[in-house]
Order: sequence, then structure tokens, then C-alpha cells
Amino acid sequence: MNLTALIKKEAQDILENKIFLLVVVVQLFIILGTFGLAISTAMVNDPAVIDSYGVNSAFKVGLSKDLEQSALADDLESQKLELEYFNTTQEANKFLGTELVAVIGISSQGEVQVELDTSNVFYPVASTKISKAVDSFQLQRSLQSSGLNSEQINAIKEPVKLKIVKLEEDNAVNIAMDSSYFVEVMYGFIVPFILLLPFFLASNLVTDSIVGERERKTFEVLLMTPLSSSMVVIGKIIPVLSFSLIQSLAWILLLDLLQVPIFNTVLLMLILLSLGLGFIGVGILISILVDSTKEANSAITLVLVFATFILFVPLFIKSDIFQALFNFIPTVLMVKIASSPAINPEILFYLLPTILISILIFMVTVRSFRHERAIRL
Amino acid sequence: MNFITITRWEFKNTIQSRKFLLIFFLQISVLFLMLMVFNSFAQNMENNEALSITPSLSGFATLDVNDQGALFSKRLNSEVLNIENSTYQQAWNRLARGLTTGFYSVPPESVELVQNGDQVETVLYLDYRDPKRSVVQEEVNSTTRALSSALTTSYLESSRPQNATKPPGVTQTTSGESVPLQIIRKVMLAVLLFLPLFLFGNLIIDSLVGEKERKTGEILVAMPLTSADIIIGKSLAVVMIMALQVGMWMLILLAAGFSLKNPGFVYLMVVLTAIPLVGLTTIIAAYSKNYKEAGIGLTFAYVIISGILIIPLLGYISRQSFGANVSPMTLVMRIFSGEIIAPAEILLSLSFIVVFSLLSYGISVALFRRDDVVFGPRPGILRIILDLMGLKRHKNRSK
Repeated sequence: MNLTALIKKEAQDILENKIFLLVVVVQLFIILGTFGLAISTAMVNDPAVIDSYGVNSAFKVGLSKDLEQSALADDLESQKLELEYFNTTQEANKFLGTELVAVIGISSQGEVQVELDTSNVFYPVASTKISKAVDSFQLQRSLQSSGLNSEQINAIKEPVKLKIVKLEEDNAVNIAMDSSYFVEVMYGFIVPFILLLPFFLASNLVTDSIVGERERKTFEVLLMTPLSSSMVVIGKIIPVLSFSLIQSLAWILLLDLLQVPIFNTVLLMLILLSLGLGFIGVGILISILVDSTKEANSAITLVLVFATFILFVPLFIKSDIFQALFNFIPTVLMVKIASSPAINPEILFYLLPTILISILIFMVTVRSFRHERAIRL
Repeated sequence: MNFITITRWEFKNTIQSRKFLLIFFLQISVLFLMLMVFNSFAQNMENNEALSITPSLSGFATLDVNDQGALFSKRLNSEVLNIENSTYQQAWNRLARGLTTGFYSVPPESVELVQNGDQVETVLYLDYRDPKRSVVQEEVNSTTRALSSALTTSYLESSRPQNATKPPGVTQTTSGESVPLQIIRKVMLAVLLFLPLFLFGNLIIDSLVGEKERKTGEILVAMPLTSADIIIGKSLAVVMIMALQVGMWMLILLAAGFSLKNPGFVYLMVVLTAIPLVGLTTIIAAYSKNYKEAGIGLTFAYVIISGILIIPLLGYISRQSFGANVSPMTLVMRIFSGEIIAPAEILLSLSFIVVFSLLSYGISVALFRRDDVVFGPRPGILRIILDLMGLKRHKNRSK
């Protein structure tokens, strides 16, 4: 048996493994599910997105009848809020939290009173829209009572002007939703999560392959073939690593189809290859230490829980103390690389520890594997 | 009652297994880890600091700024933006090379313009080849809006005549808990409470499929026990183990400071939910030939069951509908939140548990009574469905 034959046999084993195929399908559902979740959460958080879809019925605001056709009502309507009038604000308050997202009134002293229901799914958008409308109303009131002339009012109204110039519009990337929330959630968490999914599976596949051989008592036969221990381990790793990289590449293409363009694929593949070596290395180390597939699965689950913690928690933490350290975390690097059309070469420096640690884990693994006693036949 | 003997036997064997104990305590350690994360998420969301439900990457997008007066650049969100102070030419070169997402240009005399009460015209150049353009636009937009509003207020204050009265202000009050906080506090807590039910599904697979794989099923069937005794006995042992783990988790949650009102009622509902869940797992175990098949079936079944439990719960959070109480998870969340629950809502949840239990155990027992399902050659799923519906006749074992 030569190395190519072993690789072929291992690849065939993986492709015939029903669970592997099932997990690939499950990953597909996870990708589509998380994408859908990002779209829907962006909708409930971004007023511009909500307006573009014309979902106004979700933002019903209760007002007292005396505010009908008032300046405040005009400002609220200009924010595309649906207004419902009641005899009094007390009456409107009864529907707050069920039919109404907010109740707005003006007290006898002229104070604007806003009561908001934070438990409403659309609260973030409703709150932003109401704030804008109330601010505009207050500004008008202040300007009217200031005694300034119209020229002065115009200067005061907008002291800072922002003009936006779109560059390279002809070469613009198409994005499923041009919303900051969607872009942050998608690139800041979902993309690294999706691209790493196949590698979480890889460590399981490799333990299944090694411990499975031992359980089926076929490992002795494999070790008797004219292949060195290093070749055996490499023969087992190459198909697993290749399948994982192919899956990640397929998910990148799928994301492109979903209009979430992924940049710098080659560099991303390099990070994934390094992480893959690390994950598979840990998988082999576990295989050497355990007695059965069940034990291996429990140990792998534990390792993956901790790996998830280390890889993904830094994406959600703001910390001045640890920021310098976070820059070396592979998922943080993946976010920057996947979302930037061009990258600063200094990012390669931050990549070095990931590559070195992974190679080190891999080398320790191959060395341990070569030590025949460690296989514990 | 013969099934009690089976239950006692299975329960004792599981509890005495060292590997089970290891997994049992491993799960508890994972729970501790999750509690730490959830606690800090909830706390920081309340305080509006550090952790958020959206990623908070430092320097996510790069923005070149030319603002000699530093009036605008110091107000830009440096937690999301990597701000580079550049000249017009430098910024233009970096934009051309794709090294920055945008360039924000502020007139050099901005401070003087502000002091004179004149309008400051700023320009944001956005590279549309970069998907992060919306992030930069949003950040710059909110900074200019905030500064503009602050300047307007300041101009108004200074230009207001001494005797002029200040217009009345705005008061804002809020009621209810925000959705992200509800998700972290209530949904996650409900998920944590139900987690042991999903973690121990493999015990019933081990117990039934193991008999098939070890070829000890024949001996079990030959014993003076009915198929119902075997199925109910084995299932009851697993429900008891789940009850033990749920109890432990609840104690830990209470000790960690989580607010769980009506703990007895919560415990009862979670344990009752374990009954149909184990019943469904038993159907898969009774039909599967080996662990691999059972594993695939279990994954699919648990994804569907999780959906059945969680979707109505999320639905209840957005719209407090009566129908959402069909999921015991919704009811549990409402119980530990201290909500007033109508008897009809409790009845709806209990009916779901009873109907699912009767159906799942009925099917499991019917499957286990068939020699072809237990010992092979196993018939197809369609054939079994037709048999169960009485459309085809099949001879079962007498007991």
C-alpha cells in the first residue's frame, strides 16, 4: 500500500460516511439560517432598511385627538410612523405594549411626553424614528421662540453639512443588504463561524478514522504495510484537511451567491489550513490517548467548546487591555481579511503566531504518533 | 409492576457508570462556563458597556480623515473605525489602493467657521468596492448629526434674548424589557433549563440500540416482560436521570443568582416535557439498526423538536399570543418570570405533553413488539406507517 492508495481509501471512507454527508447538509441549513437571521435582525434594527421595505404597520404610535394635524404629528408622519388617535393619552396607554409601540402627548405645560414599550421587537427602530421626530419638533419650537430672523434660523438649523461622494460606483460590490448592522453581524461573526464549521467537523472525522481503525482491529494491518508512521498519519490527514478546505471554499462561493462577497480567499485559505492542522493535530492527540470512539467524541466536544470560547468571545468584547492580544486571534484576522478588498501587509505579522502554533501542534502530533507505544494497540 | 424492575436496573447501571458520571459533571462545568458568559452579556447590556449582541470589532473599517481642527475626528467612533489622519493626497492614494473604506474631509478653517456661527461643509468619499461602506457612512453620519445638534443648541442658547423663556423640554419613559435582554435573560435561561433533556437522549439510544448491537435483545424479549414494560421501564430510568440533572442545574442557576420564580412548578414542567421527548427518542431507538443510524435520526428529530419548543417561545416574546403556550418552554419561561398564567394556557401545554407522550410511547411499543423491526429483516418506514394505521395487517409478538 502506498500513500496515494491510503489517501484514496480514506477519502472514500469519508464520502461513504452518511453522518459526514448529513453534517454537510446541516451546515448548509446553518448558513442559510444564520444569513436569514442576519437579514431579519438588520431589518428590525435599521430604520433605513425598514423604510425601504415599507413596513409601517409595525410602528403604531398613539396620540391624543387634540394633536391631530399638529406640527408634532407631521414630524412623526414624516418618519413614516403610523399614527392612531385616542380621546386622551391615558386611553392610548392601555394599548401600549400590545397594539402601540409608543404613546406621545403634550402636557398642559407644553412638555413633550414620550412613553415607549421596549419589549416591542421593533423598539430600536421605533425609538430612533420617534427621537428624530421629537428632536425636529423641539428644534422648530426653539427656533420659533428664539426671535431670530429666517436667515439666522437657516444657519443655525444645519450648522454642519455632510455631502457623500460615491467612488467606484461602477465597480461597486453588491451586498445583500447595504446596512451597517447587517455588514457588522455578517462579517464580524457569521463569516468566520461559517468558514470554521468544516474544521470543527475535521477533528471529529480524524478521531473517527484512527480510533475506528483500532476498534475494528484494522490498525495493526495498516501499520504492517510498507508505510512509515508519519506517512500513515499524513495519509489520514490529507483527505480530511482537503475535504474541510473544499467545504470552506464551497461556503465562500455560496456566500458570494448570497451577495456577501468574501475577499482575499487565498489568505483566508492559509489561515484555515493552519487552523485545520491545529484542529486535526488535537484530534490525533486525543485519538492516541483514548480507548473508544465514544471517549474520543466526548473529549473532542470538550476541546471544541473551549476552542469556540477562545475563537469567538474576542469578537464580542471591547477591552483596551486585551486588544493587543485579540489582534492575533485568527477569527479577528479572518474578519478583517474577508471584508477588505485590499489588506495592509502588516496583517501577515499578526498571522505568524497562528501558523507557528498550528505547525507546532501538528509536529508534536506526528512525533507522538510515530512513537508506536502511544498508539496503544 | 415489571417495568419498575427494569427502571431500577437501568437507573442503577447508569448511575454507577464512571463514564456517565464524568459526562454528568462535565456538563455541569460547561453550564458554569455558559453562566459566566450569559451573566456578563446580560449585565453589560443593562449597563450598555463592553459586551453587546452584535460583534464589536476594534478597527473594523478604516477611515482616512483630514481634519486639522480635530473637531470631528475626535468625535468619531474609534471602537469601530480605524481612524487614519491623512492629507488629501495620501487619502486619495490609499483609496485608490483599497487600503481605506472612506475619506472624510473637513475644511481646515472648521474651528473658525464654528466660532463665527457659519456652516461647516464636510465631504465623505466612500469607496463602493468595499462592503464596509455602510458602516463608515453610518458612523460619520451619526457623528455629524450629533455635532450639528450640539452646535444648534449652543447657538440657540447664546442668541436667546435674556428675558426669553426656554421652550418646554421632553420627558421619556420606557416600559417593558428590551427584546435582546429578554432573549438573554428569559430565552437563554429557558434553553439552559431544557438542555439536559437533549443531552441525555443518547442514554435511551444506548439502552435500546445497545441491546440490538450486543445481541442481548433476544434474551430481553424472552424474559417475562411485555414490550410496554421494556419500553416504559427503560424510558422511565432516562427520565429520572434527566430529572436529576435538571434539579442540579436549577440549584446551580439559583445559586448563581438567576431569578427563578415558582421553582417547583418550573421543575415539574421541565421534567414532564422530558416524557414525550424520551418517547420520541425511543421511537428512533426502536427502529434504528445501529448507533450510526440512531445518531442521524436523533440529530434530525432534535433539530425539529428544538424548533417546536423555541419558535413559539420567540413568537410569545414578540406577540403574546395564546397559541404560543403550546410549547412547554414558553410556559416554563412565563412561570419563572412570575407572569400570571390562565388555567387554559397551562392546559394547552399539558395537552401537548400528554398527546405527544401517548403517541410516541404507543408507536415505540408497537415497533418494539415487531420481531422484524427488532431482529430484522427490517421493513421500510412506509410499510410500518401503513401497518400502524391499520391499512396493512402484521402479526406482532403476543406480549
